[in-house]
Amino acid sequence: MILRDLIRRSGRSIKSAKGRTLLTALAIAVGTFALTLTLAASNGATQYVNKIISENFDPAELIVSKDEAIFGRGDNSKPREYDPSFTTILSNGGANTQLKRVTDDDIAKIKKVSGVDRIREDITVSLQYVTREGQKKYVGNVAAYNPFQKIEVKAGEATRRPEGKQIYLPEGYLEVLGFKSAEEAIGKTITLAISKPITGDTAKQIAATGASQDPNQIAKLSEQNITSEEFTVFSVLKKPTTSQPGTELYMYVSQDEARRLNDIATQGTVNYRKYNFVYVRVAGGEEAKKLMAVQDELKKQSFSAQSVKDTQEFLTSIIGVLQGIVAGFGAIAVIASVFGIINTMYISVLQRTREIGLMKALGMRKRDIGRLFRFEAAWIGFLGGIIGSTVAVLVGSGLNPWITDKLDLGAGNKLLIFRPTEIVALIIILMVVSIFAGWLPSSKAAKLDPIEALRTE
Amino acid sequence: MIEVRDVTKTYGKGDNLFTALYKVSAIIPTGTAAAIIGKSGSGKSTLIHVMSGLDHPSDGEILIDGKSLQDMKAKQIDTFRANEMSFIFQAFFVEANQTCYQNVMLPLEIAKVGRRDRRKKVEEALRAVDLIDKIDTLATNLSGGQKQRLAIARAIVNKPKLIFADEPTGNLDSATGELIIKLLFDLNKKLGCTLVIVTHDEELADRCKMKIYMKDGEIKQITPAPKQVKGAKK
Ligand SMILES: Nc1ncnc2c1ncn2[C@@H]1O[C@H](COP(=O)(O)OP(=O)(O)OP(=O)(O)O)[C@@H](O)[C@H]1O
Ligand SMILES: [Mg+2]
Repeated sequence: MILRDLIRRSGRSIKSAKGRTLLTALAIAVGTFALTLTLAASNGATQYVNKIISENFDPAELIVSKDEAIFGRGDNSKPREYDPSFTTILSNGGANTQLKRVTDDDIAKIKKVSGVDRIREDITVSLQYVTREGQKKYVGNVAAYNPFQKIEVKAGEATRRPEGKQIYLPEGYLEVLGFKSAEEAIGKTITLAISKPITGDTAKQIAATGASQDPNQIAKLSEQNITSEEFTVFSVLKKPTTSQPGTELYMYVSQDEARRLNDIATQGTVNYRKYNFVYVRVAGGEEAKKLMAVQDELKKQSFSAQSVKDTQEFLTSIIGVLQGIVAGFGAIAVIASVFGIINTMYISVLQRTREIGLMKALGMRKRDIGRLFRFEAAWIGFLGGIIGSTVAVLVGSGLNPWITDKLDLGAGNKLLIFRPTEIVALIIILMVVSIFAGWLPSSKAAKLDPIEALRTE
Repeated sequence: MIEVRDVTKTYGKGDNLFTALYKVSAIIPTGTAAAIIGKSGSGKSTLIHVMSGLDHPSDGEILIDGKSLQDMKAKQIDTFRANEMSFIFQAFFVEANQTCYQNVMLPLEIAKVGRRDRRKKVEEALRAVDLIDKIDTLATNLSGGQKQRLAIARAIVNKPKLIFADEPTGNLDSATGELIIKLLFDLNKKLGCTLVIVTHDEELADRCKMKIYMKDGEIKQITPAPKQVKGAKK
């Protein structure tokens, strides 16, 4: 018999035993439901991570620091030797961690590594305050604009990077700085106040007035130390949907301006020209091989270098473990339903013993009889797969807006992403599993003696 | 030509050993209508099962057109059965929950007949048994006689050279039985196919060119006598 006829005949016998087939298929559907949702959640989570990363980082860049601790690694069991370049950062848990930092000398060294294209320092300047004529003063941070960060503008231009004295202002500042709309803010001037560190002269002055014991006095004196910088609002940023937490209210200026402001804020201190990490762009670094070469070389020079992909892999591997657990339960459900298929197929063979005898008497090959019943099993798997995945897609699509809201994923992001190819692959796998489940019953059918089979009532 | 040579068929073992056929020999020439006659339990069904390759003899051999069934591989026997012979059973064995069309289609599918010719062949076979107006009716809704006619349509759809019929009228009233018999003999004449009918109805047997009488697993008599047939072996 040709395949088409076998498939049609097996489909017909499925139809003639609807109830039994449906119940067996439902058992598979339960497992399929769980597996489909797991796959969708895995897709969504991975896509979300990828989106955050691709909208904030350049894949051809390495994040280079002098210290593993910045990536949350390193040995915490022993104290480390003192280094004058240390700065203190707060770890996620709130503990103080001393970080070795990247200096100008280091940058010069990195530049020499072959394949290195450009270096951007990671700069964030904590302002004394930000204000505008006739308005109150507010706190704020200015960071170097990262050309790979995806921004959405409410007003102004997004295509061009800030140059010179241009600044990107987040929409959160509009109202407090007295702008009625985003459009109104474009082209207006705002003032950033940066406090210079207290140098020797100022310290002497403080000592001379005898104010060194009075904190209010010190604060006043350091206010005299403030430099005001005027910037023109170039565009107004929407609240980002995918950004690193805590950076929503950052103002952005060009890399050069950020460096200049940082220099003002740190001149004469140990922090001058020291960076937690720098972004090293590798020429042709989209290619993993070139990126790796530079990464290895930097590691050899005792830098800590992480690619965007490393970060991504780390995050997705955590997701992967969680998904694996859920998928495991789905797989167990599918395996349990395999016994249902075996049982159903044995019943089918028993019920149709006479038909099998007839087909054999008419010259149907043993192999084809076996296939006929294996296809029947495959049909059950197919039905179960279709039912399970359809329900999963319907339920998942219905739940998506609610999940997005509850997990605060940001508009337009979905946790459950269904991919037709994956669902088709899942159904095919289920059909293969079903065929294996139908193996014993189908070979029993194939082995039946036609005369014996025809004798049964 | 079907040649049966010293065929013995036993069932069971030891004390339960039962000899259903004992050293049976016969020759049925191509195109002949032959009747196998005998009491119930005399081994008629067993004989045609063995002749058609559906069952294996315990001893002896069956030759179809000079080729021994025992020497053929399972696949070859299946092909022979799908393309050259067909079987009509006493109990019809039509698929109740399939339509007449689907029932008659089965042998064509098994013989891998091209899709284009199928419908035409099925219609032709159903017309021959006067069931063309029931083509899309489920077999379960047919009367006994109609079911047997359907079984005949299924048997003739692929134009076999050999038709075995095991008491084809046993379950039918005499009028319907007559119709079925007429049909079978028509086919025998028109297609020139060999027809082997098992029956205990002497009247039906008389209409056959050749008669094989069986008793307790042995052939008692063959008319006309075997020596008259060319190539027969004593
Ligand atoms: N599988 C079997 N096991 C044991 N004995 C069997 C088996 N099949 C048939 N027999 C015996 O072989 C003998 C011949 O059986 P067979 O079916 O050929 O008879 P028959 O001539 O066709 O009878 P009927 O006219 O009633 O159909 C019977 O006595 C039967 O009991
Ligand atoms: Mg019989």
